[in-house]
Amino acid sequence: MIRDIALPPHEIAQEPSGLTLVAVQRRGVPLFHARLSVPAGASEDPRGKAGLAQFTADLLRRGTMRRDARGVDDLIESMGTGLGIEVSLDEAALSLTVPGDLSRHALDALLEVALEPSFPENEVASARRRTLASLQSDLDEPSSVAARAVVALGYGPQHPYGHPAHGFRRDVETFQREDALGFHASRFNARGALLAVVGTAAPADLLALARERLLQVKWPSDARRAPLDFASLPRQGMRALVWHKPDSTQAQVRIVASGIPRRSPLYMPGVVQNAALGGGFTSLLVDAIRVDRGLSYSVSTRLLMARHAGLSVFASFTKNETLRELLDVALEKMAAYARTGPSDEALTKAKSYLSGLFPLGLESHEALAEQIADSILDGLGVNHLATYRSRLAAVKAAQARDAAAQLSPARDGTQILVIGDGEVGRKALADLCPVDVRPIEELA
Amino acid sequence: MALDERDFPVQQHALANGLQIRLLPDRGLPIATLYSFFRVGSRNERPGVTGISHLFEHMMFNGSKKYGPKEFDRKLEAAGGTSNAYTSTDVTAYYEDFASEALPLVLDLESDRMSSLIIDDDSLQREREVVKEERRFRNDNDLDGMMDEALSALAFQAHPYRWPVVGWMSDLNRITRADCERYFRTYYAPNNCTVVLVGDFDPDAALRTMEKLYGGIPRGDPPPEVPTGEPPQKGERRAFIQYPAQAHALLTGFRTPAGPDSDSLVLDLVEAALSYGEGARLKRALVYEQELCVDANVYFGWRIDPGLFHVSLKLNPGVDPSRAESALWAELARLGDEPLSEAELQRAKNFVRSGLLRGLQTSNGRAHTIGQMEVMLGTWRAFLDLPNRYQAIGAADLQRVARKTFAAHRRNLVTLMPGELPEGVQA
Repeated sequence: MIRDIALPPHEIAQEPSGLTLVAVQRRGVPLFHARLSVPAGASEDPRGKAGLAQFTADLLRRGTMRRDARGVDDLIESMGTGLGIEVSLDEAALSLTVPGDLSRHALDALLEVALEPSFPENEVASARRRTLASLQSDLDEPSSVAARAVVALGYGPQHPYGHPAHGFRRDVETFQREDALGFHASRFNARGALLAVVGTAAPADLLALARERLLQVKWPSDARRAPLDFASLPRQGMRALVWHKPDSTQAQVRIVASGIPRRSPLYMPGVVQNAALGGGFTSLLVDAIRVDRGLSYSVSTRLLMARHAGLSVFASFTKNETLRELLDVALEKMAAYARTGPSDEALTKAKSYLSGLFPLGLESHEALAEQIADSILDGLGVNHLATYRSRLAAVKAAQARDAAAQLSPARDGTQILVIGDGEVGRKALADLCPVDVRPIEELA
Repeated sequence: MALDERDFPVQQHALANGLQIRLLPDRGLPIATLYSFFRVGSRNERPGVTGISHLFEHMMFNGSKKYGPKEFDRKLEAAGGTSNAYTSTDVTAYYEDFASEALPLVLDLESDRMSSLIIDDDSLQREREVVKEERRFRNDNDLDGMMDEALSALAFQAHPYRWPVVGWMSDLNRITRADCERYFRTYYAPNNCTVVLVGDFDPDAALRTMEKLYGGIPRGDPPPEVPTGEPPQKGERRAFIQYPAQAHALLTGFRTPAGPDSDSLVLDLVEAALSYGEGARLKRALVYEQELCVDANVYFGWRIDPGLFHVSLKLNPGVDPSRAESALWAELARLGDEPLSEAELQRAKNFVRSGLLRGLQTSNGRAHTIGQMEVMLGTWRAFLDLPNRYQAIGAADLQRVARKTFAAHRRNLVTLMPGELPEGVQA
């Protein structure tokens, strides 16, 4: 009998500034975690400034109104922790985990870095050089290249999600101090932001601590911004893009189609059917590609769900000689699955699998804060977590079938991405769909 | 401050066949983790069958007497669990994270494959191909893997640490079913294993089930000794790799004492001082101030036998590797020449302590820590005292160990030279 998970004691408060405060009590290991999410994700990058959200977030720690970069390092790292900086499509999130007795110090440090950056001119220039070097260096890692290519191609260049968070070389080269200052001033709003704190104290005490520390800082902006246009352009016909990486003996493969946002009614059946198709170690595709044929070490499908849109992605890799075989098997299996959906046995197994593993995502302070923050910011509410297992259990075969048909990575308009040897890719894909081969340097 | 044993009420048991059992109940969430640590890794291999430990790890998922091919993960996932495993130079560890009601099944699955694994030619052939793909992914087409493989072969001349855990490609093609069967009999006996269970369960009932399921598996002969003789290093060693890449990279390694040596704790603090956080010495100097590298990383992991302290520099495009090399040697020498300030030393200790605490947040983390301590230091209790042991280390200890470890004649350096593959070399 599957029961829902009782979330640990928590309180959620909406502050007059528009900030959402979340306090969660987690007993056991004496740690304190704070996570500040602000509506400053990669989708907010201005046109021609792809990567500015990430660039701005990275610069936060390179100097504040109270201390220089070295002083910021000392402030944070003397506590024995690193500052987490994540820029997703929708948010920028800063986080810290420290021993519980340093909670006040940690909150002060987090808020100072997030809300009082000084963006020194020399640090901006240095960060620009580092980012450009990283963009070039990342080309040596096929998985990083694939991740960049998936969002760029999956959403398309006109979509707010249609570029990698670190941006493109041509845009990063133009970044100036004013860009970072302007981005910070206009996007680091209390309205739309969320501060989550997790510790051993009672939620009311944690809330009081957060409010007390928030009095010490001022939010840079309360400007309202025009909503972005997240409409997707329909695509027709399959096409392939091969990013040429010389002397590769293995090809990274992604098959990408449109997916769903996190708030979609298809969310739960989508998650279930995806687990049966390409999740875990016993999915249909793992069986067909790894277990039965030994074609790859890693096979998966994922629904990449952001707040306003999503992608459905098949991912694997194989040696050059079996690239076409892997593609044929994957496309055939996924097309068939889109017609039939999961078998009754596979559906039951997928639901049990997801249900059993769900609590693992709530174990650590960091995971708990992130899950609760995202649920609130996505408009799902903590009920999304509290009822997760019963909603999983309630997914019917017809719903899973319908979701499989709508979300298969192998549909009309799907894009095939290959990162590997250009000629190998061209030959393997030639009679499958139109193929474009480009040098990998174009992805920087 | 030491961790409080009352927060970690681990029960310790041993079966007559030698199987070691550690149980840590925690009723917080309806989940549990089971780890099985076998004391076997690539250090137990010999030339000709390199990679067999890791290949064998894959074979453990291919069916046993009660649960046939594909059944292990199928049963587990259907019951709300997931499994995985890793092989290192010293140990092979299998784990399951699962809904707590699946515990009887998980114990049945694990004990069944320990007692009666099926090894057939078909599954060996399929798994061989999967592992070769893994090798292509992690080593042949990955700069870090490529360089790491070259560094091990450079730093060790006699010890089995000289070959990669995944094995050489030619050896992967050569391993036979008979090799695997011999391997199983030798290293997968209960007296070579420690099982750790953490999470939501009744310890008395769990122990009874384990006695019933594992108790009948016969004890094996003690595994053969590992040839650990490694001649002293008498001078700097260098290797070069020419491969298409965007920039140069450096990977250096210095031989270290074995994990149980108390100097390993000092080297943990050296690692933290050099590379944990953006203000760490190497990052500050080489990434931010001199702008020589995209990233500077240090890795020091305890090993059963004397191991390696790794420093990896991914250079900015266009940077002359000799400049980065000089800057690196200067930073390492500074550790020996000048004591760390009190603040810098405390910062390193705080990082290491926080890392230990963070690793104990999850069932999986606690189970892994307990097992690792058993394998490496002989008792799970060792982690309770680690914060105190780190706290007792002084700046002079770091200076002494840095001077000894980073002496110029102990350098092993791999340089990645961007360029086309040398003529005649197959990718």
